[in-house]
Amino acid sequence: MRKLLAWLLWLWLSAVIVGAFLYAPLAKGFIGQSSRILFFHVPMAWVSFVAFIAAGVWSLLFLRGRDPKHDRAAAVAVELGVLFGVLATVTGALWARVMWGAYWNWDPRQTSIVVALLFYGAYLALRSSLEDRDQRARLSAAYAVLGLVVAPFLFFIMPRIMFSLHPQSVINAQGKVEMESRMVQVLLGGSAGCTALFFWIHNLRCRVQALAERKSALYE
Amino acid sequence: MVTGGIGWVVAVNLIIWTGLFLYLLRLGARLRDLEKKP
Repeated sequence: MRKLLAWLLWLWLSAVIVGAFLYAPLAKGFIGQSSRILFFHVPMAWVSFVAFIAAGVWSLLFLRGRDPKHDRAAAVAVELGVLFGVLATVTGALWARVMWGAYWNWDPRQTSIVVALLFYGAYLALRSSLEDRDQRARLSAAYAVLGLVVAPFLFFIMPRIMFSLHPQSVINAQGKVEMESRMVQVLLGGSAGCTALFFWIHNLRCRVQALAERKSALYE
Repeated sequence: MVTGGIGWVVAVNLIIWTGLFLYLLRLGARLRDLEKKP
């Protein structure tokens, strides 16, 4: 069953890749094929946000039940969130080079994702600086819960309250979708597929961590 | 010509994605084996 789901995901994301280049039309007002990066950049930024929120939720569960499994899940979610956030930043910078003439312009969108990455980079630094397992789990859980407020602000509110050259979101400020329907289909398909990919990688990484902890406990 | 160029990009993307997918699939199988060990 698990294998079947995995192969369905392979098929789904393969269809998204084909759709991004051969099915979706080019967006108006963009140079050359540059708008196609949208189908990879937006899902990566979305997954990064999902990962940070999931980390906050797992941290809340940890603070409630003190189950180390939840602490591990939160830490892995932050690691993956940072990874996807970096990928979103890099793809965004490549697009900015084509459209705005420079990789980095301190646009509110670029700045807010860097602040988010620094915030969660500090979470990882905090974890690695504490040796006591319980203290590390408690403090980092409290920090990740704070992220439940910080992440929505940085991803959705800050870029909207400041003037930005960044293209409008899929759902614009007026609450309308003005994107061509085939583009919306590929974009939503890509976001859903990448979210599933995130949870799959998260599951594998948590299991690797659990085995590593089991092994180190044997030698302690 | 444009379709030819895009075709290569699609092929490279599919190869990268399939490589990552097979790696994850193998990792899952390996983990299941290790988890069974006492």
